[in-house]
Amino acid sequence: MADASTGISRPRLNGQALTTLAVLLIVGFLVLLPMVFLVEESLNVGDPMAFPPVEFGIANYVAIFEEDLKTVWNTLIIAVMATVMAIFIGFTLAWILTRTNVPGREKLERLMELPYYMTPLVGALAWAVIAGPKSGFINQMWKAVGGTGDIADIYTHFGIAWVMALFEGTVAFVMISASMKSMDPALEESARVMGASKLRTMLTVTLPLVMPGVLGAMLFVFAEMLGSFAAALVLGIPGRIYVITTAIWDSTLSYPPDYGRASAMGLSLFVVMFFMLSFYRRMIRRGTFTTISGKAFRPRPMEMGRLAWVLFGVCALYVALAVVFPIAALLMTSLQRFATVLLDQAQWTLANYETALSLGPVRTALFNSIILGLGVATVGVVIMALLVWIIYRSQLRGRGAIEYLVMFPQAVPRLVFGLALLWAWLNIPIGIYGTLWLLALAYFTVMLPLGVRTLAGVVLQIDKSLEECARVCGASWAYQMRTVTLPLLKPGILAAWLLIFMACVRELGASAFLMGPNAKVIAPSIVSAFATSGTELTAAMALIQTFTVIVALVILFRVARGMTKELQ
Amino acid sequence: MSETRIEVKDLVVRYGDQVAVNGVSFTVGRGEHLTLLGPSGCGKTTTLRAIAGLEHPSSGKISLEGHAVYDAATRTNVQTEQRGVSMVFQSYAIWPHMSVFDNVAYGLRVRKQGQHEIKANVERALDLVQMRHLADRGASKLSGGQQQRVALARAIAFSPTVVLFDEPLSNLDAKLRAEMRVELRELQRRLGITSVYVTHDQEEALAISDRVIVMNVGVIEQIGTPEEIYNKPRSRFVADFVGSANLIKGKPAGDGTFVTEGGTVLKVMAPHMPHGRETEVAVRTAYIGLEPLAGENHVPGKVRQRLFHGDFVQYVVDSPVGAMIVRRPPTNLLPEGADVTLSFSPEHCVLLEA
Amino acid sequence: MKLFAAASAALCAIALAAASPASAQATGGAKLCASPQQMDGFKTCADVAKAKAEGAFTLYSTDPEQGQVKLLAAFNKLFPEIKTSYVRLQAGALYAKLLSERQAKSYLVDVIQISDMGMILDFQRKGGFRQYISPEMQFFPKEAKSQPEGFWTWGSVIMAGIAYNPNQVSAADAPKKWEDLLDPKWKDSINVKVSNSGLQHGVWYMLMPILGADYFKKFGEQKPRAFDSYVQQYGRLVDGQDKVIMGAQYSGYIEFKAKGAPLAFVFPETGVPAVPETYGIVDQAPHPNAAELFMDWFLSPVGQKALADALLLHSPRPDVPPPGGADTVPLSKMKLLTPADWNAFEKDRPAFAKEWNRIVGTGR
Repeated sequence: MADASTGISRPRLNGQALTTLAVLLIVGFLVLLPMVFLVEESLNVGDPMAFPPVEFGIANYVAIFEEDLKTVWNTLIIAVMATVMAIFIGFTLAWILTRTNVPGREKLERLMELPYYMTPLVGALAWAVIAGPKSGFINQMWKAVGGTGDIADIYTHFGIAWVMALFEGTVAFVMISASMKSMDPALEESARVMGASKLRTMLTVTLPLVMPGVLGAMLFVFAEMLGSFAAALVLGIPGRIYVITTAIWDSTLSYPPDYGRASAMGLSLFVVMFFMLSFYRRMIRRGTFTTISGKAFRPRPMEMGRLAWVLFGVCALYVALAVVFPIAALLMTSLQRFATVLLDQAQWTLANYETALSLGPVRTALFNSIILGLGVATVGVVIMALLVWIIYRSQLRGRGAIEYLVMFPQAVPRLVFGLALLWAWLNIPIGIYGTLWLLALAYFTVMLPLGVRTLAGVVLQIDKSLEECARVCGASWAYQMRTVTLPLLKPGILAAWLLIFMACVRELGASAFLMGPNAKVIAPSIVSAFATSGTELTAAMALIQTFTVIVALVILFRVARGMTKELQ
Repeated sequence: MSETRIEVKDLVVRYGDQVAVNGVSFTVGRGEHLTLLGPSGCGKTTTLRAIAGLEHPSSGKISLEGHAVYDAATRTNVQTEQRGVSMVFQSYAIWPHMSVFDNVAYGLRVRKQGQHEIKANVERALDLVQMRHLADRGASKLSGGQQQRVALARAIAFSPTVVLFDEPLSNLDAKLRAEMRVELRELQRRLGITSVYVTHDQEEALAISDRVIVMNVGVIEQIGTPEEIYNKPRSRFVADFVGSANLIKGKPAGDGTFVTEGGTVLKVMAPHMPHGRETEVAVRTAYIGLEPLAGENHVPGKVRQRLFHGDFVQYVVDSPVGAMIVRRPPTNLLPEGADVTLSFSPEHCVLLEA
Repeated sequence: MKLFAAASAALCAIALAAASPASAQATGGAKLCASPQQMDGFKTCADVAKAKAEGAFTLYSTDPEQGQVKLLAAFNKLFPEIKTSYVRLQAGALYAKLLSERQAKSYLVDVIQISDMGMILDFQRKGGFRQYISPEMQFFPKEAKSQPEGFWTWGSVIMAGIAYNPNQVSAADAPKKWEDLLDPKWKDSINVKVSNSGLQHGVWYMLMPILGADYFKKFGEQKPRAFDSYVQQYGRLVDGQDKVIMGAQYSGYIEFKAKGAPLAFVFPETGVPAVPETYGIVDQAPHPNAAELFMDWFLSPVGQKALADALLLHSPRPDVPPPGGADTVPLSKMKLLTPADWNAFEKDRPAFAKEWNRIVGTGR
């Protein structure tokens, strides 16, 4: 009952509490329930097709160590190689773009985002075309100048790691450059004033100070590499190299499907990733070395003189390797009847594009992906904004648990989560399996960490007093949310919306298991085309997808910028 | 060996369209302590950093010991690490991942000194700033004042001839600042270092400098000794920025006199050749007495407000030449409403340049 | 010996089928409808109006998408009101997905095609098929349809030989027998299908008794690479990544040859293993009438011809000409090696899968 003397606090609390409880239940259901099913299935040692399982045991886990050691070994080797390369790329680019006066810095920074839009799937396809043995462009050219044998083979451990690193390199770049930007430039300047050369400064001052940031990035990237799927799928199988994700994929696609083994592998992978990410989070919380600053810094780049052009070349090289060459290779391939780089032998044709566009699945798949992106992003941001507010602004007791739940899907490789969802919805007698609804649910759940993290960054910048003022004026919690908090969050909401939309359209791992005949989405369709059609057709499909996504993004970006301009 | 350690000639530094330093020239002699003084954005820090090689000027020339380290005409630009000047940063820039010892030893290690030499030099430097007992502590665990001392020790450890100071005391509290000021000056004298010092605190500048350069919006307003700057400000800006002054409007009437807008005739002093277009005289608040003295300008007035500042008392006195601010020793306080005669000598009534 | 007999029996049966009268004993309970409707080139027992009202039709099959699209387009041309959709997966994956969906009570598919008879029989045992007697089924030989009729029918027959690229491999060096593939010069340059494939299972099952288990052990040492579809396999022959296909699908050869690819196909004397691609209407199909209409059309000469045009596949119907041009070898001229006992074939699958996975290096 509302007590007049304590004012209007209690009814508001009830409204909050109810919403919080509801949110907790829903998120818990979405995030944890599939995992429960996954655990159950991993212990299935009886008939793999029995739903629910009747015989339980740990034989599946034991079998991993007995039979799948090679796969585990492959996974580790590739992940380590890819992480080292990605961190190297990320660190170099971050240093060049935040610490030196390389020409065209802003444009280059923008270009660094491009590989992210390329997606590892398209990148892997492109590199298969560029560096496949015997028929890859590099090898064709080698043969044409008289070489024998192959000088490049992308279907190797190194090849897979290379492609993964190229595309994960941007993530490392963003993380490390954030850490570098927060460093007082005077620390480097004073070293140089003391007479240290630029190289010595970097080694004795910059490197040790960004080390925590770099280590954090390393952990994060390594975790991602363990769960990576696209590159291993496209480049591993022709070379008979299986990693855990592709082995999981494989288990479920044979008859009889070994769901038990797949689940056990998935859970093991999840556990490892979970620990890595816990370490990472602990490291971030401990923070980098504290530096003293009175005023805000204007990071002043080092003068590199003529070297600046060399550094420009390095950045350009990265963009070339990650974006320009792959797109060019795919373009060339998609326009030929039989892919070749020897222009005099090429038979040019538009037939691949005609076929690709006529293939119903391509059109419906693109359409579905975009619809899902729009839907999930729109509904998703609202729910996530609510979640963020509950976690970071409310006083409710359960909010630590909510934060944990919401970040949980990050530790689960998408593929494994897709499998868990498959499993959950095979057993739950609501018939959304094989429909777009299940995909929407899956996307929303896997995007939770991304959206919440983005919005959290914005929320934490809003001065509490702005909201408190509204409450003092008598606004109910809902009214305050609607009239003060949500409008202030608008730029963050738009950013989160765009990110989620992008992520939905590129999604592969979770969708792979959950598609139905009328619920096809684009990335798995490209993968299936790769398996069943020629490279030429697949290249055409991949380019159509990339192009559509970029066009959609540009449009949305313009709209978003228009909307934020209104605010300013 | 010339007497000039540093020469800056026609220095211009641009940031995009903004001109931060707009044609600045000065020299610094051996062992001199020169201060660049001015409000934020006046270009003093940029000038300092240009000398260090941390800013890229657009034109001009900078020479150290007679050698050009930057010359737009010959496209010379010596890298920071090769200029051999030392610097103390505003944020101290103490490397948190090293110990105090390693911080101070950094410059020595770069110069490849031997281990024994390094130890000796570091200890000597730390002694000079009384930080020897903390030599092995991790640098991230120091207080602000301690970091400041370590920064200083680091700067002098390799016995540089020139040290640049970028507002080194501005992050300290007032009392510490006052103490450190004195210590810094001592150190500089003892070691005979040529120093260029940047600050926005005019008290500091006046207290410890051999010469002061007052800068405003990228140009030099006045160069001179602290006494010159204080007693003979050339422009309204300098009069206003350094110390506190009353500005009286009027017109020069020839022969060392000045007629105020209210009609009062004052005997003034002009440090420059007056050409008749000047409009203001400046009278320092500290130089106004409340008892008429012979030979001085006398202006009747009435005390409107009295504020007790501890070390001095400040009166606002209404008079025919305007509301004058007067600062007197804090004894014999006059009540508000008292009638007084303001008295100031012609030397202290400075005609400002137009 | 037994196999030769079975193969010859199959051939004879096919030859005789045309002459034998229609037998529509409906021991499964369903009967051929009394008055089938005459459509454009085929007869149907389906309620065409209802089929059109249902407006959609979904097929799950193992055939490559490009060809599948063409086949469904032909159907859609006749009945524009019925929108077609499909899912393509290799046999094992397809069957796994099908069973999982049914378990989840998701009924999304109307007709399935699986190139592994073992799975077909298993599905029939599970009651997965809905019996429907098409007026066209009478023209199919006995082996090519379920007993009783109406649960499943062979839609095409696929056979596997050896293929190579004559630009890379001279006629003299080219393999002519299955045993030739054990020559060390082919190491690391052979490709095959994945263990999910019904055709590959057929190759294994039929050649094992003839060539011996030792053959396959030695074959494993050649380090063959496995792929999901013949499209990839032939693609790699064309661009030179592989030199030979062991168990090359003949229909793929015809298809690529027609596009101008440099390919040669060998029918080893031992014989070519062959399996059917089997079609059936699924129980609880979401569009049952459309499904029936499709089956009638598909099993008719019109539909079979559409299949031949789209996917270059051989029809089990003797009255349908072979696909492709005049160069195509008809069924009658091939030495087909088809399993006699499909139940045994089905039971063999897990062992085959495990062994084949080891041979192609999935290492599991």
